Amino acid sequence: MSDTQDIKFNIYNPVITYEHRAAFDLIVSHLQEIFPICNQGKCKALEVSDDPQKQKQINDLMEKVEFFSNSLITITKVFFDQLYRAKQTSSQSISQSTAMIKIDMIERNLLERTCDVRWWALEKAFWQCIILADENPEEVARISKTASRKATKSSSVNSELKNAVQLACTRLEDIRNSYTLYRDLVIVTLDGTVIANSNEERRSTVLGMNVSEEEWFKKALQTKDGTEYFVQDISRSKLEDVESLIYSTALRAGGDEQGEVIGAMGVLFDFQGESQIILNDYLPGDNDSATLDGWFSFFTNDQGRVICSSDEYFIPSGKAADIPRRHWKLDNPGDVLVSTAIVCGNRSLVVSHKSEGFDEYRGLGWTSHLVLPESAMFERSEENEDYGISPQELMNSRLIPDTNKQTYQEIQRNKGDIQLISINGIILATDLGKAGTSFIPIFDQITTTGNSTTGKMEELLSEMSSDMLQQNLKALENFSKQAIDLIDRNLFERAADVRWWSTDHAFWEALQNNKDENFEEASKRLGIINASYTMYRDLVIADSNGRIVANSKSENRDKLKRMNVSEQSWFRQGMQISRSVQFGVQDVCNSDLENEETSLIYCGGILEDGQREGKVLGVLGIFFDWENLAGPILEGCLPRIKNEVVEGGAAFYMNGEREIIASTDSDHFAIGQEVNIPIENLKLEDGESASGIFTDKGRKFIIGSSKTQGYREYTGLGWTAHVVRPID
Amino acid sequence: MLYSTFYLGKTQMGLPIPAILEIGRSINFHPVRGAPEIIDGLINLRGKVVTIINTGLAFEAEKVKSTDESRVYILKNNTELREVADADFDIETSPDNIGIHVDRIADVISVENEDLQTVPANINHPFYKHVVRRGEEFIIILEPQKMLNLNEHQELLS
Repeated sequence: MSDTQDIKFNIYNPVITYEHRAAFDLIVSHLQEIFPICNQGKCKALEVSDDPQKQKQINDLMEKVEFFSNSLITITKVFFDQLYRAKQTSSQSISQSTAMIKIDMIERNLLERTCDVRWWALEKAFWQCIILADENPEEVARISKTASRKATKSSSVNSELKNAVQLACTRLEDIRNSYTLYRDLVIVTLDGTVIANSNEERRSTVLGMNVSEEEWFKKALQTKDGTEYFVQDISRSKLEDVESLIYSTALRAGGDEQGEVIGAMGVLFDFQGESQIILNDYLPGDNDSATLDGWFSFFTNDQGRVICSSDEYFIPSGKAADIPRRHWKLDNPGDVLVSTAIVCGNRSLVVSHKSEGFDEYRGLGWTSHLVLPESAMFERSEENEDYGISPQELMNSRLIPDTNKQTYQEIQRNKGDIQLISINGIILATDLGKAGTSFIPIFDQITTTGNSTTGKMEELLSEMSSDMLQQNLKALENFSKQAIDLIDRNLFERAADVRWWSTDHAFWEALQNNKDENFEEASKRLGIINASYTMYRDLVIADSNGRIVANSKSENRDKLKRMNVSEQSWFRQGMQISRSVQFGVQDVCNSDLENEETSLIYCGGILEDGQREGKVLGVLGIFFDWENLAGPILEGCLPRIKNEVVEGGAAFYMNGEREIIASTDSDHFAIGQEVNIPIENLKLEDGESASGIFTDKGRKFIIGSSKTQGYREYTGLGWTAHVVRPID
Repeated sequence: MLYSTFYLGKTQMGLPIPAILEIGRSINFHPVRGAPEIIDGLINLRGKVVTIINTGLAFEAEKVKSTDESRVYILKNNTELREVADADFDIETSPDNIGIHVDRIADVISVENEDLQTVPANINHPFYKHVVRRGEEFIIILEPQKMLNLNEHQELLS
């Protein structure tokens, strides 16, 4: 049954720990002691009995003992191999999902960027500025010069163009303040001159610069209509001193998606800053939270060059990484490659995952890499918490692969066989009377050896099962962290959206003028916004009395117009807003604005004259399609084995009141329900994770939980994410 | 004398080693149609036909099930018993080889005759012969002759 032919981890493999080598030596030396004992037994058989039948019986027994000892030595080798394979498999699968999580995080972020640039290019202030610039080409040159002498105050410049440039810069600044992920945003004329930017510190350098030779600019002008954009992979641009990731699209006459191309907009995403956060996540740290030696996380572009790294010293950006060549770039989206190799002097596991993009965004062909010391896969987990589960129960749980269970049974069986042989030997010896008594110690010795050997193996098995538990708990923690991080990031984007939209001229104009045609125009704008996103049920504007005056979906309009929302939390929060960088949010609840069970409503204040600070005229409320937003994220964070979701695995979010607000399994973990999960998993500090074991409706589960840490300006609502899988 | 001990449920019991012919795994029972429930079946031991009693049912307790841990004690018949060399004991079994099916085997223990105590009257049972104290545990030494006498199990047999 056991075969030593395919052993991968034999005892001389350097990854085998010292303790395990010692345990192996002990087991084998004990078992080898049995052979001389058996020989001694065979000799004794001849001495103590003349009866050939008795002699044969004793000889047979001794041979059986030899056979089972040999078989136990073989099983021991197989057993160690399986022990290490199990650890390796589970470690590799965790590393793979970590590499994947990281690239997925960045791709989701980049998808949002593609929506942003297309939407912003429609802004009136930008295309108006370009039109004026085109009419006054000589003024453009002067603006650029005066910009370098601080701002556009010079009276020699055409004041209309000057004002337009100023407004464009202001609006770009508004965007940058709402979406803090950008280092700069620029507006460029058809001939390639930058006439407005968002970053005041860079203004004197950037304004007047000619970027007509840059790829992102040329490609932006070639876009067919307002739905197209271009993204230039990490490369050098005149606009910045560091490498840039630039999204661009054309500016079109009249802000019309089909209009004539009159210029370009470029947005410079803070790729390095954003990637650093993601790359450093999920890397183990020491007590000073410095990443442990030998652990690296980095992205490479489709040329196999490092574009961002968790450790610029060992794996510097701009170069090929010190990992096996075949890892530099993988062929197809979704490809995964796992190898062991020497990386930066350490024998390491190298896991690479090529991006599949996200949703409609196909990505730039980047690959995410994770490197960890090979020894880290086989280390004993230091945590030895008592989860109230017996080693036996753990051993029989689903966390332990079937092959390991079979080996365990084989060991148990051999142990039983040796015990039987030994006791039958004692019976035979007894039948020989006084002559037989000299056999008793031999059989005692066999029993003792059999017991100690199998006892040692049981210890190792129990160690393994507790390691497997730890690894699985860690994996669930990672999934729950991913789930909460993704929702935080998504809600940050929505917070950015609502802040920016609240400044839209159509909205404050409508509230200021209080005319039907203005409200219609506002509704139209809301409709355009809603059409470009999939995650909103509706967007509404309420005036200062709480009366709904505009909304995005015409089919809801009659119903909403009769409503007064002045008592609702989101509206009241919105009316407190006096600065455009603020926003409010009403936690998931049952709202009578919608017929849905769960509503999540964000709000922004619409301020007088579209100012950054001022009197609030009304409130913009955006209603999330919460379940459709949370559902896919949770689905993506379910525990999987070889891409299949583990049977009974589930993920859910809980609000600050510890009620479920979204779930992948409405039968067992229904919305509104409280679940009897361990208290450690509920009492988490912001950004903390925990894991444990709990029983729900008679079934035992392991669970990983993480609490929101917010993301940038979005501080989180005290939610927690939980990922569970049954183990019995 | 040496005793082989085993468990029946949570009770540890023992039989004197000389009374035992062999101990094996509880497999290959040949069911006997029409036999009483207390009989698990027959086995063939080197040409001998051995009847197996379910010890759990014999004690009117939970039936012993065949598992990886369950074992069969095959006892010597009275003739074989007398062939044991240097015998200085007084044990009777039965005229035939009979096996008893138990939940799980435990240690072999050596007990001096003076350590064999009488069974307290309140827990007495016809199959019990002695009780032995081992630390905090008690081990019941069975009386094979009674145990193997199928007539003792009249009610179950009828």
